[in-house]
Amino acid sequence: MSPIIEIKELCKHFGRRYAVNHISFNVEGGEIFGLVGPNGAGKTTTMRMLVTLLKPDKGEILVGGHSIRKKPNEVRRIIGFMPDSFGVYGDMTVQEYLDFFGACYKIAPNQRARLITDLLELVDLGHRRDDMVDTLSTGLKQRLGLARVLIHDPNILVLDEPASGLDPRARVEIRELLLEIARLGKTIIFSSHILADVGELCTRVGIIEDGKMVAIGTLQQLSERVMPHRQLHIGLLSRAEEAQIALQSDMGVSEVRLVENSSRASLEVDFMGDDEAIHQLLANLLAQGYPVVHFSEETKNLEEVFMRTTKGIVS
Amino acid sequence: METSAQPAQTKPARWKFIEKILANPVIAKELKGRMRGRQGFILVSVYLALISFFIGLIYLFLSVDGGLPTNSPGYTQVIGKVIFSTVVLLELLMISFIGPALTSGAISSERERQTFDLLRTSLLSGQALVFGKLGSAVIFLLLLVLTAIPVESMAFFLGGVGMAEMVVSTLMLVVSIFFYSALGLFFSSFTKRTLVSTVSTYAAILLSFIIMVLLLFLFAVFTSFLYSSSNFQSAVADDIMNVLSWFLFSTNPFFAAVVSEAILIEDQNLFISTNGMFGSSSIPLLSPWIIFTAFHIFLTILLVVLSIRFVNRQDT
Repeated sequence: MSPIIEIKELCKHFGRRYAVNHISFNVEGGEIFGLVGPNGAGKTTTMRMLVTLLKPDKGEILVGGHSIRKKPNEVRRIIGFMPDSFGVYGDMTVQEYLDFFGACYKIAPNQRARLITDLLELVDLGHRRDDMVDTLSTGLKQRLGLARVLIHDPNILVLDEPASGLDPRARVEIRELLLEIARLGKTIIFSSHILADVGELCTRVGIIEDGKMVAIGTLQQLSERVMPHRQLHIGLLSRAEEAQIALQSDMGVSEVRLVENSSRASLEVDFMGDDEAIHQLLANLLAQGYPVVHFSEETKNLEEVFMRTTKGIVS
Repeated sequence: METSAQPAQTKPARWKFIEKILANPVIAKELKGRMRGRQGFILVSVYLALISFFIGLIYLFLSVDGGLPTNSPGYTQVIGKVIFSTVVLLELLMISFIGPALTSGAISSERERQTFDLLRTSLLSGQALVFGKLGSAVIFLLLLVLTAIPVESMAFFLGGVGMAEMVVSTLMLVVSIFFYSALGLFFSSFTKRTLVSTVSTYAAILLSFIIMVLLLFLFAVFTSFLYSSSNFQSAVADDIMNVLSWFLFSTNPFFAAVVSEAILIEDQNLFISTNGMFGSSSIPLLSPWIIFTAFHIFLTILLVVLSIRFVNRQDT
């Protein structure tokens, strides 16, 4: 199956500065793909080229097989774009706003009424349909933005910082809404500074820095690349120092650190090995009579991956 | 099986054109926004109040202390003609102010409120966006002109206004509506800030007037220098100066309207004048309203085409 988005050797410069420098990646249909990177890394520029707002200097983008250069209207038909700003008309009602964009996408007037009702239900704004857009809170405006993006039933959603400026509750709500939209079979590409959101939502992540794609893959793949070992946390009732010495000679263990806290001692173990090897390590500890009360593996953390992958270069 | 097909009912081209205009979502949105709230009502009211005030003033002046003999047979016709001319000139003046105000923020305000990208990534073409913005401004200005008809109709009661004057003045008003709206739209299509666009539009109007006056002044100085410094006498030079200055004057809506009316009264000719402005030239010149109309239609088309190009231009 060919990817729904193919980006090949994409370049864009403003003056002498390269905003996007030979970026290539593909996105498969149904994926939630996250673009992360520092400010000025080139995320928004990449997205603006993807949605036909910017002309690439070099390279090509194919969306659903259509070139953004040769068939921009075909691309616009299958893509929905939500920029990092809300972009709303304050002097319209919620329903008029969606109706206007429905008309801009050439949806027949008799289909629009039903469509708007369904979309408002999806984003839980049905009760506000006759309210002026200006009276909506930031979170509700963002939900309205998502409804607008879906008005022409695009296969691909490109969302630039969809959670930016939202309070924690609105952030969680938008995240859930995105998951619901993904369940409808849509492909979502979004950029975010909130790495926790990206980590939780995305099936794959691309890290951009200084206009270049420095890492791409699932969170698991990225973690393995920058942190090849697995990190285990072992809590013990007593004999922690003894266990530390014992573990250091174990196969696959590269380092054991003793962590003292007020309640009990615990060990942090850097371990190279599969699940079977982890099971064996725990079995050995128990067989030797160590009073293990806690045993867990550190979950892969995008923040850690991000910090280790990027160098803090801002172009 | 019945195979005979029903003859397709094709609508006349003009209906298709009207359907296309009404299908433009921008026109409906803009008009709804403009008429929502008090803004539209206030604008129409102020417009009518101003016109009525000046008409009242002129009527009072002419009937009380106008210097016209009230027993003159053409007395009411003169009042009728003056009222009609005043309404038309006031309408031209108002259009030259309100037209740019309606459109000088049309595209730039989309950029300011960050909805421009949303429109550009939709299936709405740059052409539809420009025509929508222009169309909504033109429709609103036509509404203003329509609302002034009752005031204008006072002239019809008094008489003195012919069909030719009616047609020419309406044509000039409509052309001005399109031109001033297109001018504001043009500046709005490439500026990012509405303030910059508005200032540029009014500066362009003022500048075009200053340049016209300056050029006319230069023509006059040049001609007087030519005639005074030697025994220079050339009918060709007279003709060239006349054509150029006539053309320059005709680009001004107020001159075009007043002089066209004067030619109609004096020469009884709607299309041609033989009274030049310099020397003794009697070269036939097109009545200013024709030059005004042709020149402004050309400029309007040029401005609209350029606006579409600017709107369609991808960011670089």
